[in-house]
Amino acid sequence: MSAINNTKSFHLISSQKISFTFDGKKYTGFKGDTVASALLRNNIKLIGRSFKYHRPRGIYTCGIEEPNALIQILSEHSEPNTRATVKRIYEGMVIVSQNRWPSLKMDIGSINNLLSPIFSAGFYYKTFMGPKGFWKKVYEPIIRRTAGLGKPPKDFRSKSVHHYHNVDIVIVGGGLNGLIAAKKLINTDYDVLLIEQDSFLGGVLNNSKKIKDIDGQENVEWLKNTEDLIRKSKNIKILKDTLVTTYNFKDHLIAIEDKAVESAPTSYKSELALHKIRTKHTILANGHIERFISFRNNDLPGVMLASSFEKYIHRYGVVPDSNPIIFTNNSSTFSLLKSLVDLGCKPLAYIDYRNNSSIEKNILDFLKNNNIQTYTSSEIEGCDGTNILKEVSIRDDKKNIIKIKTSMLCVSGGINPDVHLFTQSKGLIKWDSKYLTFKPDKPFQNTITLGSASGNFNYQSLNEEVNDKLSFLKGAKEIKIKLNLNTADDLNIREIWETKHEKETLWSKSFIDLQNDVTTKDLSQAVSEGFDRIEHLKRFTTNSMGTDQGKISSINSLGIVSKILNKNISDVGTTIYRPPYSPLSFSAIAGRNTYEFYDPKRKTAIHSWHIKNNAVFEDVGQWKRPWYFKLNQSETMHQAVQRESRQLRETAGILDGSTLGKIEVKGKDALEFMNLMYTNAFTKMKPMTSRYVLMLGEDGMVKDDGIVSKINDQHFIATTTTGGAPKVLGDMEEYAQTEWPHLKVYMNSITEQFSTFNISGPKSRAIMRKVFSEVDFSNEKFPFMTFNTFNYLDTKVRIMRASFTGELGYEIYVPPKYALELWEKIFRNGKNLGLIPYGTETMHLLRAEKGYVVVGQDTDGTVTPVDLNLNWMIGKKKKDFIGKRSLSRSDTSKKNRKQLVGIIPIDKNKNIEEGQHIVEIKSLPSNIKEPIEYLGHITSSYHSPALKHCIAMALVKGGNQLMGKKIFVSKSNSSETVESEIVNPVFLDPNNRRLLS
Amino acid sequence: MFLINCPYCGERDQSEFSNGGEAHVKRPENPDSISDKEWAEYVFVRSNPKGIFYERWVHSHGCRKWFNAVRNTSTDEILKIYKLDEKPPSLDEFKHTLQTPSGEPELGSGNFTVKK
Ligand SMILES: [Zn+2]
Repeated sequence: MSAINNTKSFHLISSQKISFTFDGKKYTGFKGDTVASALLRNNIKLIGRSFKYHRPRGIYTCGIEEPNALIQILSEHSEPNTRATVKRIYEGMVIVSQNRWPSLKMDIGSINNLLSPIFSAGFYYKTFMGPKGFWKKVYEPIIRRTAGLGKPPKDFRSKSVHHYHNVDIVIVGGGLNGLIAAKKLINTDYDVLLIEQDSFLGGVLNNSKKIKDIDGQENVEWLKNTEDLIRKSKNIKILKDTLVTTYNFKDHLIAIEDKAVESAPTSYKSELALHKIRTKHTILANGHIERFISFRNNDLPGVMLASSFEKYIHRYGVVPDSNPIIFTNNSSTFSLLKSLVDLGCKPLAYIDYRNNSSIEKNILDFLKNNNIQTYTSSEIEGCDGTNILKEVSIRDDKKNIIKIKTSMLCVSGGINPDVHLFTQSKGLIKWDSKYLTFKPDKPFQNTITLGSASGNFNYQSLNEEVNDKLSFLKGAKEIKIKLNLNTADDLNIREIWETKHEKETLWSKSFIDLQNDVTTKDLSQAVSEGFDRIEHLKRFTTNSMGTDQGKISSINSLGIVSKILNKNISDVGTTIYRPPYSPLSFSAIAGRNTYEFYDPKRKTAIHSWHIKNNAVFEDVGQWKRPWYFKLNQSETMHQAVQRESRQLRETAGILDGSTLGKIEVKGKDALEFMNLMYTNAFTKMKPMTSRYVLMLGEDGMVKDDGIVSKINDQHFIATTTTGGAPKVLGDMEEYAQTEWPHLKVYMNSITEQFSTFNISGPKSRAIMRKVFSEVDFSNEKFPFMTFNTFNYLDTKVRIMRASFTGELGYEIYVPPKYALELWEKIFRNGKNLGLIPYGTETMHLLRAEKGYVVVGQDTDGTVTPVDLNLNWMIGKKKKDFIGKRSLSRSDTSKKNRKQLVGIIPIDKNKNIEEGQHIVEIKSLPSNIKEPIEYLGHITSSYHSPALKHCIAMALVKGGNQLMGKKIFVSKSNSSETVESEIVNPVFLDPNNRRLLS
Repeated sequence: MFLINCPYCGERDQSEFSNGGEAHVKRPENPDSISDKEWAEYVFVRSNPKGIFYERWVHSHGCRKWFNAVRNTSTDEILKIYKLDEKPPSLDEFKHTLQTPSGEPELGSGNFTVKK
């Protein structure tokens, strides 16, 4: 039979017509329809193809628990795996079905169904083991093409936002219980947030006719009045279209709000909001979820949960089928029976697994009075039909099979309290043998469960439960609600998880997980293969691992497994429910933290000049640093770096060093503190001088380097590496506060308070003289490693004589406000003297020619200052400094540690690659079977324009004793090696004539 | 994510803080006078209990101050916060508060969701 509209009683749908497209065809629904209700209204029941077997699938439920009806929305940057049962239609919406090729009705992948023996439990682990190479070349491409859900969405810019809340009470669920709880809290001193996943409040009041009237009012009227009361209260806020997905410690909830319900995405409005909520008490009134029963072909389109069918009638005003068959093991379907009869839609048959004597008399009377074909002590054996349900087979109380033609079957296997959030909060659940379900037992956090979420399925006692459980809240009023019920008195459920097949064919499958295509047979196979622990069984079979997390079926699988193992369900236990409750869009998690906001870019004051002068940038932490400057479009990086290096050693170059970390240390005990933090001795150092410094970890390994300038014993300025700045400041704070609180010392970052320029090269003094004409830059007045402060315009600059290139050089520190102007002034003055800008790559090359190390490139956290031949930097007479004791540990003081050496190729035309191994054999076997002993590895390698051949630095075992030794360096792309020689790492100007000139 | 009550700023989100490992591990005053083994104990060895743990935190995205906390590592419950110069509370003070999230044994792992 076909769908009809319920014109009698529904109120969530307006009469406004909406048209949308599904698989290229245009359909019409009403405003307020979900995709599913609109498709059902149009008699569309086939929605997609399943994950593994490509079996036809339809709409199984009416909400978030939907395992089957997943769609791809082309009109929303091709959003995949959207639940048709939740997503609302809007004018012009374009939807396609998923996982089918070439078309939904004729799908080639469904051949997988016939290959199903190889897709059974654990097939990922077993079938595709060999032969070698087959996984990558054969199996994976086939699986990728045929298995899976929707296609990835198109690239789009997230406009999602994050909201933060700090409240006293969160009520999760705006159904009847949530509303009673909220009513109780009206105008109390508590800040309350009432969160509802749907666009409307009321839950059961909208979903069914289980409640005739409430407080003597029509359901709709009561709802409207109650919502008004809550809205008018000063302390309760309602969030609709908002789903709580996560319950973290400590009473920290994450909820996602759909801000674009019933509308197409726009370029200016946010689609999703992620709410991060901190609360003191959490009231879980999030209801229950109906479960199914496994029988032959229980996945055919046309099979639907009974309560979902009921929801379509009352929420959306569509009866999905005018004459369905009902199959149940409990009394919750009584209200559906009544609703159908009310609308003149007589069910074709009513099949109840319970026996006559245990079914309530009013149900039996109703069936009899309305002349409905009734089978008690009976069950559905299976369903048949291609692409859609055509016929059901009933096994009656005498085990006879009776076939009835129908296009819809409504199933109820019982109801489960929705304990997902409760267990996320680490509350303990307990098996209820009366209702055959797990229900919340011991909360771990400040959690209260109400109504069916707490396992209370008796509407009459709800009022009392709420009053009772919330009585501890100050000022909460006693609530009296009068419900006029239209249901059976109790659930009265009889245990059944699956029914037996009459005959076995490849097409006959009884599913336990519809989304992941797991059958009941897979469960028994997994158990027989030894996966009898529920956590193992879940992973092996992939049961309840889909995006729906087995919401309608996970308890059923426990029931089936408990029968196989002959155990109680409570002993089988459940797997752990993990957040999120329902899939969370990455765009919501990302919020506005995308593209340029994902990771802020830090730019120096000279950035605009660098761009104008064709700098190519390198990322150093968050900083953008000029890597090299292109002279013209055709210049390569190698050419640019060689040119910059040559020019600097001939005339002068200037580097924007503003990104270097700068830390100011002040205080009465600053000197003692610096002596403890660094390896160097600062006591005898004269004021207004600087030192190259090393900082170690307590393990004796080099952590950072820089230059420390001493203004006086109470005032130091330290530079750090660009990336090391926060860590160095953090370490200083830690030691000052935790280990040496008696020292009076304070420190702060001044990295962004000063721009720094490094000017170096033989002509740098001449340029500095032109720029700062009043300063005496002579060797006598301004020797190496001294500094001073000078007036410049209406500010001050600090100039230090220091160099990292091995040439005469100066560092200028200037407030950023004046930086660009000064930089340009230097260029005006340096132009005729051959001044060029240079980048970090040239800096690295020039320092390598001098054998200076770069912390983090030539060191890796396993290198001591002794390994680097920097013994001269260790204040050996100091009683203590961080890492000192470790330098005399047996391991750090042994002879054969890796030490820093220079490496040059024997054939000067050959290159050495960074990161390569140093070995003693000329040719490496092409197929390495045995470990090959290696002496060390290359840490830095450059082509030196000064020496006109490759120079490299390396860490080599006992390297200091191996000067002149021939060794071989491996290559990345061949088993050949580069014959090389170990040399002193200072390649250029070992006597520092240039530096001190 | 839990809240931490910074003794200088008040309650703030955990994300503002950094954990600094075990508290009350005193740096030896005369490192040169102790053995390699004793020094290595200080540098490398820390305890990692399930249950009550005395640890250090720093309000890194706030006041930059270090302080101590007593935390139940199996529940993430912070039982006490005290300043660096305050005496550490005695272990007995927390014995009765010790619980595990799912009522599982105090030692060993195990995720139980079902109450027997
Ligand atoms: Zn603070």
